[in-house]
Amino acid sequence: MATMDNILNTVTFYWLTGPIFDKELRVASRRRRNYVFRSLYLLILTLILILFWVEEVRFSYGSASSRASRMYMVGMGITAIIIWAQFCTSQIIGVIMLSTSISDEIYSKTLGALMTTPINSMQIVLGKLLSGLLQILVLIGVSFPLLAIVRVFGGVPWQFLLSGFCITMTAVIFVGSLCMFFSIFCRRAYVVIILTILTLAALFLFFPLLTLFAIHRVIDEKIFVSLLYHLNPYFCMGVQTEILFDPRSAGFTGPIFWPLHCGILLILSSGILLLCVVMVRRAALRQIVGASPGVQSRYVSEQVQEYMDKAGRIRRVWGPPVVWKELLSPLTRHKTLVVVFGIIGLGLLIISYGLFAEHNDLDEEYCHILYGVIFFSLGLLVTLVFPATTITTERESRTWPALLGTAVDDWNILLGKVIGTLKRCLPAWLPLFGHIWLFTLVGYIHPAAMFQISFLVFWTMMFLIGSGLYFSGRFKRTTTAVVMNFILGSVIWALVPFLLFMMLAISHSSDDLGEAYMDLNPYVHLCSILDATARQNSSLRYDWLSGGRSNFWESSIWMLLCGWTYIAIGVFFAWRAKCRFRKNIFH
Amino acid sequence: MIETQKLSKYYGNLAALVDLDLKIEQGDIFGFIGPNGAGKTTTMRILATLLEPTRGRAFIDGLDVMRTGKEVRRRVGYMPDFMGVYDDLKVFEYLEFFAAAFNIERKKRKAIVEGVLELTDLQGKRTAAVDSLSRGMQQRLGLARVLIHDPKVLILDEPASGLDPRARIEIRELLRELKRMGKTIMISSHILSELEEICDHVGIIEHGKMVFSGTMDEIRRQMGIQSKMRVRVAGDRDRAFEVLSSLPQIKEVRPEDGYLAVTYAEGHEIDGTIARTLVQAGLDVIALEPEQLKLDNAFLQLTKGIVH
Repeated sequence: MATMDNILNTVTFYWLTGPIFDKELRVASRRRRNYVFRSLYLLILTLILILFWVEEVRFSYGSASSRASRMYMVGMGITAIIIWAQFCTSQIIGVIMLSTSISDEIYSKTLGALMTTPINSMQIVLGKLLSGLLQILVLIGVSFPLLAIVRVFGGVPWQFLLSGFCITMTAVIFVGSLCMFFSIFCRRAYVVIILTILTLAALFLFFPLLTLFAIHRVIDEKIFVSLLYHLNPYFCMGVQTEILFDPRSAGFTGPIFWPLHCGILLILSSGILLLCVVMVRRAALRQIVGASPGVQSRYVSEQVQEYMDKAGRIRRVWGPPVVWKELLSPLTRHKTLVVVFGIIGLGLLIISYGLFAEHNDLDEEYCHILYGVIFFSLGLLVTLVFPATTITTERESRTWPALLGTAVDDWNILLGKVIGTLKRCLPAWLPLFGHIWLFTLVGYIHPAAMFQISFLVFWTMMFLIGSGLYFSGRFKRTTTAVVMNFILGSVIWALVPFLLFMMLAISHSSDDLGEAYMDLNPYVHLCSILDATARQNSSLRYDWLSGGRSNFWESSIWMLLCGWTYIAIGVFFAWRAKCRFRKNIFH
Repeated sequence: MIETQKLSKYYGNLAALVDLDLKIEQGDIFGFIGPNGAGKTTTMRILATLLEPTRGRAFIDGLDVMRTGKEVRRRVGYMPDFMGVYDDLKVFEYLEFFAAAFNIERKKRKAIVEGVLELTDLQGKRTAAVDSLSRGMQQRLGLARVLIHDPKVLILDEPASGLDPRARIEIRELLRELKRMGKTIMISSHILSELEEICDHVGIIEHGKMVFSGTMDEIRRQMGIQSKMRVRVAGDRDRAFEVLSSLPQIKEVRPEDGYLAVTYAEGHEIDGTIARTLVQAGLDVIALEPEQLKLDNAFLQLTKGIVH
């Protein structure tokens, strides 16, 4: 008993996190963006709640029992939306918050200093993770009053709330651990964010899909669903939601138990965190041993030197200097990581092609729409990130004043940045073009798709490069600029249409306006193009949401109009970015 | 060459610079001194066209820095207090990039880059990655960068900060060489003794206001500070004490670590008199060391250590 008491006295929260937790909370409390995030989050949730409420009030006729029944359904709907909003936003915010958690310590050379104190690497890792989790917990906590209001509607089972909360938290811990792991090796937050998203997509989307395709004839479906439920938080949350609305659906799955899912995810997270502890210690020791000018810097320098050695002779400057420099910059220094991800991706792609071919689905439009959406999302992800890093990285590395102190024209700097960003983003679009090209060659996709998708990619890039440059010039930190570009994309292509459709439904108006707006969405363009072109002997009939424009020429004119509008907005953003070049140079 | 008129910069309610009047002649080395947050860096950033003043005007080579920014940038080489480098480039490439950024013709660039590499003693590092250079080397590279377009004016914000003594001496020698080349140099530093040795003029700034501007002699005169000399004699030190105390130019004599510390009024050429008097009194002079007013002392006396 005394031993147990001793252990309990030793294993305190402070023992786990040291003063790191306290320090992180102090810093977080001074960040305005945290309060802005919370307010925005609450505002959006409240807006959704009001829309649902108005929708219900509109149908206030009928008997008392039918009204109570509708209330019950609305209550469940709102609860599901809030739980899913918590589930998604907490992971996004977790990734953003923890993307620089270790790299900041490494590159500001404080990690080595921390290791000279009694603080150990476990405390550093857990202190950072738990302080981030606390912020997310606060975010989730602010929506509890909304959930309490929902209880007024009646009938929301507490089991769903509890399971939703636990699944969300364990998913955040897993995502946060992964993010911390990448942040040990990658200096830039956006690289960490991209790597985390790609890893999550691979783990929870591509692998399950491929496995399902591969083993669906061999293994019982219920066992597969049960396995997926316990390993995949997104699927798990989906099943829980399904059970909320239709409790009988639980019978269609194998044995499922959400606490087991949470336990498995926690064990996986512990494994990643253990790796983090070891790697953080190594990084810190490297920093201590390296002394001046800092081991991490020397470590990077070794990488740079290696790259330089391979690069060979001196490369002379030609043409506009900023363009030259931007084109000279290597796409990545994490070559091993890129090769590993490339090989895994290519392997998955070949397997998936094989599986689709086995089912004779490669000449079906849905198959190409699926690939198109995945590859387009990859390109979009990279194009959302890179432009938003161009100026902030110069500011962060303090090269911006030196560049602005030269005689180079601001337009030339802008041109260089646009060309440099295009160079960095284009490789991410190659899988999409490769897919279209390959299946055009074998006759499964009409050649028109190549031209139309090229233009679609072009205007999407120009728009996002413009906005990214603007945010990059507007904000001090790379992470903030990247997040703002993400928010812009999410708002105009997801949130606005969602709210628009809800409002149209409530006001009993026709969906024409919403559908017309959706026809401006690049994903709708992509799906329309592939739907019209991805079949043998395609008749090139386009199916837009708002109807009309069904033939090739009408659709092409619409795409051109739409594309040039986006390009004009992108150019406007870029021009505003140029106007801001000399504002707050030293931030 | 450099002139400011009532130059002011406010960040909200915070006055970083208040009605600064400054004039630096061509070929001068001007030492800009002040505590942290006094407004040195703000002044330099305005002169380098990277910051807009709230009011007032600044001129470089007769050009208004606000209205003719691009022309001013061609005449100025600005080295910020913290210098970033493009870590994808080698030293030669880095310098050629900036040469191109100043529109230097491609065929002339190689010779110019080689020239500044030689001047800054970086020839051996021409193929090294800039990020792999030590702090001292990076500072030299920064100097090489600001020299690449042969500017008339150099604005150097703490170029010696964080450097080891050897690197500091090398930077100082380089600045002397640049002065010989006719450059006008404005330099700020916390290593005051270094400025003392190389500067023609100094400006002491505090709380955004210039509290003193002039030569070292002018500082001494303005402050009425007396100069000191340390004297060491062989034999009877008491006798030496008496002899020196009897001289009318000397205000005070006191023993100090085996020496006699002699304080005299500024403006007198006293060392010859002291030596002659002591020898005539039959005393052998072993050492006669003049001790000038140190910039550190003047700085401490002129400033109150108030920062924003």
